[in-house]
Amino acid sequence: MPGFTHLHTASGFSLRYGASHPERLAERAAERGMDALALTDRDGLSGAVRFAKAAAEAGIRPLFGSELAVAERASAPTPTARRRTPVRGGAFLDESAARAVFLAREGAAGWAALCRLVSAAHAGQGEQPVLPWSALEAATDGLTVLLGPDSEVGRALAAGRPDRAARLLGPWRELYGEALRLEVVDHGRPGSGPGSPRLAARTLGFAVDQGLRAVLTNAVRYADPGQGPVADVLDSARRLVPVDRHRPEARDSGERWLKDGATMSHTAERIAEAAGFRRGLAHRLLAMTEETAGECLVDPQDDIGLGRIHFPEPRLVGAGHRTAARVLRSRCAAGMVLRGYDHDRERWARLHDELRTIERLGYPSYFLTVAQVVDDIREMGIRVAARGSGAGSLVNHLLGIAHADPVEHGLLMERFLSERRAALPDIDIDVESARRLEVYRAIFDRFGAERVATVSMPETYRVRHAVRDVGAALGMDPAQVDRLAKAFPHIRARDARAALAELPELRGVREAGGEQLWPLVEALDALPRGIAMHPCGVLLSDATLLDRTPVVPTSGEGFAMSQFDKDDVEEMGLLKLDVLGVRMQSAMAHAVAEIGRATGRRIDLDDPAQVPPGDPATYDLIRSTETLGCFQIESPGQRDLVGRLQPATFHDLVVDISLFRPGPVAADMVRPFIEARHGRKAIRYPHPDLEEPLRETYGVVVFHEQIIELLRIMTGCGRDEGDEKRRALSHPELQGRVRAWFAQRAERRGYAPEVIARTWEIVEAFGSYGFCKAHAVAFAVPTYQSAWLKAHHPAAFYAGLLTHDPGMYPKRLLLADARRRGVPVLPLDVNRSAVAHRIELVSGGASRGDGPGDSAVWGLRLALSDVHGMSEAEAQRIEAGQPYHSLPDLWQRARPGRPVAERLARVGALDAFGANRRDLLLYLAELHHRGRQAPGGQLALPGRALDGADAEPVDPVEPAGLPDLSEVERLSAELGVLGMDASRHLMADHREFLAELGALPARLLRDARHGETVLVAGAKAATQTPPIRSGRRVIFTTLDDSTGLVDCAFFDDSHEACAHTIFHSWLLLVRGTVQRRGPRSLSVVGAAAWNLAELAELRREGGLEAVAARLAEVPDAGAAEAGAGSAEADAPSAEPGQGAGQGSDKEPGTDREPEPAAAPGRTIRLTTGYELHPWADLQPPGERAATGRKLWHSSPGSAG
Amino acid sequence: MTPAPRPPAAPPDPPGAPRQPGMLHVRFRTVDGTPVSAGCFEQLLGLLAQFTPVIEALPPDAALADVRGALRYFDRDATGLAELVRLRALAWHGVRCTIGIGANPLLARMAAQGAAPGEIRAVPEGAPAVAAFLDRRPVSALHGVGPATARALCAYGLDSVGRIAAAPPATLQRILGARTGRIVYERARGIDPTPVTPNAAARSMGAEHRFGHDELDPARRRRALLSLADGLGARMRASGQAARALTLTVRYADRSTTTRTRRLDGPTAHGPALTEAAYALHAALGLQRARVRSVALRAEDLCRAERAARQLTFDPSDDKAHRIEAAVDRARARFGTASVRPAATLGQASRTGRPPPPPGARPLGPGANRP
Repeated sequence: MPGFTHLHTASGFSLRYGASHPERLAERAAERGMDALALTDRDGLSGAVRFAKAAAEAGIRPLFGSELAVAERASAPTPTARRRTPVRGGAFLDESAARAVFLAREGAAGWAALCRLVSAAHAGQGEQPVLPWSALEAATDGLTVLLGPDSEVGRALAAGRPDRAARLLGPWRELYGEALRLEVVDHGRPGSGPGSPRLAARTLGFAVDQGLRAVLTNAVRYADPGQGPVADVLDSARRLVPVDRHRPEARDSGERWLKDGATMSHTAERIAEAAGFRRGLAHRLLAMTEETAGECLVDPQDDIGLGRIHFPEPRLVGAGHRTAARVLRSRCAAGMVLRGYDHDRERWARLHDELRTIERLGYPSYFLTVAQVVDDIREMGIRVAARGSGAGSLVNHLLGIAHADPVEHGLLMERFLSERRAALPDIDIDVESARRLEVYRAIFDRFGAERVATVSMPETYRVRHAVRDVGAALGMDPAQVDRLAKAFPHIRARDARAALAELPELRGVREAGGEQLWPLVEALDALPRGIAMHPCGVLLSDATLLDRTPVVPTSGEGFAMSQFDKDDVEEMGLLKLDVLGVRMQSAMAHAVAEIGRATGRRIDLDDPAQVPPGDPATYDLIRSTETLGCFQIESPGQRDLVGRLQPATFHDLVVDISLFRPGPVAADMVRPFIEARHGRKAIRYPHPDLEEPLRETYGVVVFHEQIIELLRIMTGCGRDEGDEKRRALSHPELQGRVRAWFAQRAERRGYAPEVIARTWEIVEAFGSYGFCKAHAVAFAVPTYQSAWLKAHHPAAFYAGLLTHDPGMYPKRLLLADARRRGVPVLPLDVNRSAVAHRIELVSGGASRGDGPGDSAVWGLRLALSDVHGMSEAEAQRIEAGQPYHSLPDLWQRARPGRPVAERLARVGALDAFGANRRDLLLYLAELHHRGRQAPGGQLALPGRALDGADAEPVDPVEPAGLPDLSEVERLSAELGVLGMDASRHLMADHREFLAELGALPARLLRDARHGETVLVAGAKAATQTPPIRSGRRVIFTTLDDSTGLVDCAFFDDSHEACAHTIFHSWLLLVRGTVQRRGPRSLSVVGAAAWNLAELAELRREGGLEAVAARLAEVPDAGAAEAGAGSAEADAPSAEPGQGAGQGSDKEPGTDREPEPAAAPGRTIRLTTGYELHPWADLQPPGERAATGRKLWHSSPGSAG
Repeated sequence: MTPAPRPPAAPPDPPGAPRQPGMLHVRFRTVDGTPVSAGCFEQLLGLLAQFTPVIEALPPDAALADVRGALRYFDRDATGLAELVRLRALAWHGVRCTIGIGANPLLARMAAQGAAPGEIRAVPEGAPAVAAFLDRRPVSALHGVGPATARALCAYGLDSVGRIAAAPPATLQRILGARTGRIVYERARGIDPTPVTPNAAARSMGAEHRFGHDELDPARRRRALLSLADGLGARMRASGQAARALTLTVRYADRSTTTRTRRLDGPTAHGPALTEAAYALHAALGLQRARVRSVALRAEDLCRAERAARQLTFDPSDDKAHRIEAAVDRARARFGTASVRPAATLGQASRTGRPPPPPGARPLGPGANRP
């Protein structure tokens, strides 16, 4: 049997079109006896790199291509009959453009031509990528073109117009000549449209008539038979219409799978027969297909450039005449002198070592490139800091890339770069998030558009989106689909049914979804559904970048974005620089700018003279655990850990950050460390030789660097080899080999067997977890800086936080924290508020600065930009026009939109113009109507005195006798408009009810005894289900009442009764037992939870009797005792949710996702032997966090 | 809304005597809670007519009766009469009445709204009592205050009738405009000069077609509209009415709706004219991807068919259409409404002829090049 090669195959990277992953396709092709397979995704090459890798693994030859929409040559006169704009639902997606398949033929040239074609198709202005004919004319070499049923030619044939087909074929033949093929497809459909035997026969006959070669394909959309319904759902999700139930013929035929050779040759025979030819032609058709496949030779290694590195040309990074290596050397030497290290022999030696490694690896221009970028950023006045292992290199420090001195902190170059490390070194830089795009633009300007591209990031289907799209495709009720989707935690789509069976809060959801839904939801698992710009990656290359990667413009900013994601880019050897936007950096920059604006004092946070290390007030603040808003140490788990650890030095902060990772928590490194630190347990070393590296962490291994040193001391290997072995520890299959190596080498060095065994235990338990110390040091710097700001300039600190919102908590919680810390919160006022949050002198003020030592009290003035729906331009107009003396004055000069103006009135920002906010609303409505009646008419004369000296409102609005907003309505307006309870805490309204219940305020909770049963209440601030050592699922939630925060933990015995309530309500009443683990470490182990809003409503309507009836309903599980007993063992202290707000962590331990067991097993065994709950470490169900807008019911009396 | 310039139907009270509340708002429900049928409703109106001739039918299940003229004859007060009505409705028809009594239609209506099923509730006479009755009621309870007006008032904190009554009338007029502002202000104080108009005809007539799923096919929606328009026309002709306007309401999968009204050229009950108007309304929406769950047509502003004029044309087809319609009406009267229907609404299997084009060939948007 002759082989068969599929030349037309779409994978999931044909967005919302292909139903199988490239890996699956390659696997199936190998299974079905094919030795080559083409991947021709629609509109791009995003899947190409994965496909190449998968093909190599499966042992087949990959062919690369793309199916692109081609514009008509002469743009036909646009039809005058414009369709009416739909009043609802939007217009149909226009997919009418003809398509053709382009296959890369001649190695690198073909690949380059393909890349350029894809880029050209995306460069157009239209909504859909369409290739202009001119681009086609520009790139004809190295490509084979297939014209199938969806091409112009195919459509003409389907319409029974061979004459027209022949005419349309002309230009194609002219361009491609011998490389043009007609594509014959037969899916056994009725009629003469695409996929029908009639069209296939016609096409074959036409090819024979025209003397053109034809190929047989199956226009594959999925790997296996039976996936037709999935293709239907994808079609529906792409076109945004439900699956058409009236026209079954419009749905997928079910034939478009990766058929084996025998089936395809049978198809070929049938087509030849239908076309009236003999069998010979069928064989010729198959032979031509194979021949075409044979021509399309592109080698992934040599032609696409997998595994080769392309740096920007040296002349662009300041090495025009000399070699890059010499420039790097001289810059480093200058850095030594500048920092005063020029007499330090140790540093010189280390520098030479590092430079030698860099030169041997050929990376000098890489370092110069990064240094150039950092210099450019700094010149723009943007805060920049290096993070990651790159901070361990002295060269990086000398070039100004990394702040912390690696020698002082004991950081190792080998963790970052060594000759044994194959991967490209990774330097990440953190910049202010608000100005990240400016940085990108600067990089584009510096290196030129032909060398720079951002990296893409496929957004893949997870369960919530899958439920939404399948539900919409099946035409289910949108409200119900929404409910179903929100019921799920953020898990993978393929685990949907397992989760339905196992999670208590999902009871009843399965039945509500119906039969059809769940299999389809799981079938969508991990298929890309869109492509977005990666938040931090920038590609830098030489001028040939666009020959190696197709680029598409990003939607908002129009940056060129590579279609490859960050892993692909690494495979291809493209230099990627991670520029992370860190909102905390923006927040600190804003805080410093505010201090400068208000007091004239310029603060440089990086200057040790102004921000002294070891500041007692700062560490007092950290130890008090009131660290809300501080970088990296604000999460409930971290606050708990900080409370137990009691950091007193910078090094303690470094350790604290390193310990707070799933790995160390899972490996039980926290408890021994804390006990040793507080002297409750003696420090033990496996051998006196190991005291030096382990002393700083009381004998507990915390850092990668310590493992490297440990291996070096015990085995006498080099640090680079030590790092290699350390990395091997994370692969279970390699662990045994490392162990043998370790035992042998250590024994040779004369260590006793029990020492070796003990040390290996530590090394093994450590696994690949722990943390790179360089990374932790880089993190600890902003941690300390933010804590210093909070301790010394609280008002400015909160202004920065609220403006850039860096944290894991909703803004209203930060505001509550500000109020608790005695920062006056000043209401929104159009005459005083600015676009961003500001600080304002409230009292005192003779001295400069707002430190605690001064008599001045600085307040926090809320910002206009927090008003819901306020546009940037509106806010700026309002700020620019201040002050206003009356409502019409504001209306005319600042020209706010009516809804925005009304919101301003409702939150009291216009109180200066009249005391009654409803009168103001009425007046605004009249201004609006008057403006509409006389558009562009004469403006009223400005009634303001010309000198404008008096800011006093001259004419307040006349009272209209309307009832003013009540207190409750005002609070409701604040929550609705600002998302914050600005004037008072929202729990204040429930104070009376809570007193009746006897609920304990957070402040009094500190005095509660261990084991005492208490009732607490508050607004939900954060909910997490992190991985826990015991392998159970624990729900942690933080409640906020007006006096402080309460951290609650719910263990699985209480989930049955309360998981749903916790995830889906905003105000909670919790019964639980107090759990104490240290002077500052306190949490409540929840046994029962109620929706407080619901209870308050019951109380309002039916009095306490109704509340009592509701409380009686809850099954009292008596879980409090059970929970309290087991809580001892579990430290509720590890959640990686911290990363979400502050950029991604890139250590292997943190982005690991627990593998939910295929069979519904209760726990997952990790390689380290610890067990994890399958559903831990996931974003819980419900909505993310309670923003203020969700916390309030809209009372019938309130407006809007 | 404005009082018609005609003398009140009831004889004026002798001057000096205290005005007695004499308006009854009666709502009928069968004992098991189901709505009354149209035939039964007719009979119940007849029952009311035993007490007073001044009855305004409020289909489908309520009526307004002015019994001031009957009080002396029956020698009972209004509550006594209401008890009689309730008694007779139960005895004769097995129908339970909820009756509100007030000095004017507004108060009677609101009293009935607040009453439990089968209860008789009266609003006592006198300004303080009326004010107390109205004080805490929501604005939307006022007759004539629709959702839009209620929203406007609530936006200014005027969420109860008492608050409206307390607001300065000038402010109300600023919010709602001069006319509506005055009316709402009066109603909030319990003033309603509207008389009970005997035999007022139903002012609109509607019908709805629901789809069992998201319907995106315009042809199917048009078919549904055709059958609705045809049915509406038949109902109007049967009751001797004609519509001056037609309203189309489209409901979507997310339960939101779009409503459009179009005035007809003149009062008509002619099926093709209604269908044409319905099609035009539908086409004006230009729906493409919208997931339609139901379409509803409402013939508005009905008048007596005698007042409908028809533009004569030289085109015989128009005349023929009218004659055919008359014949169809007779056929339906004789053999049931299902006997004659527009061809397009007869089952979907009837779609014969060329099979529809396969999926890829079907152009989906503008600019498609049809092969």
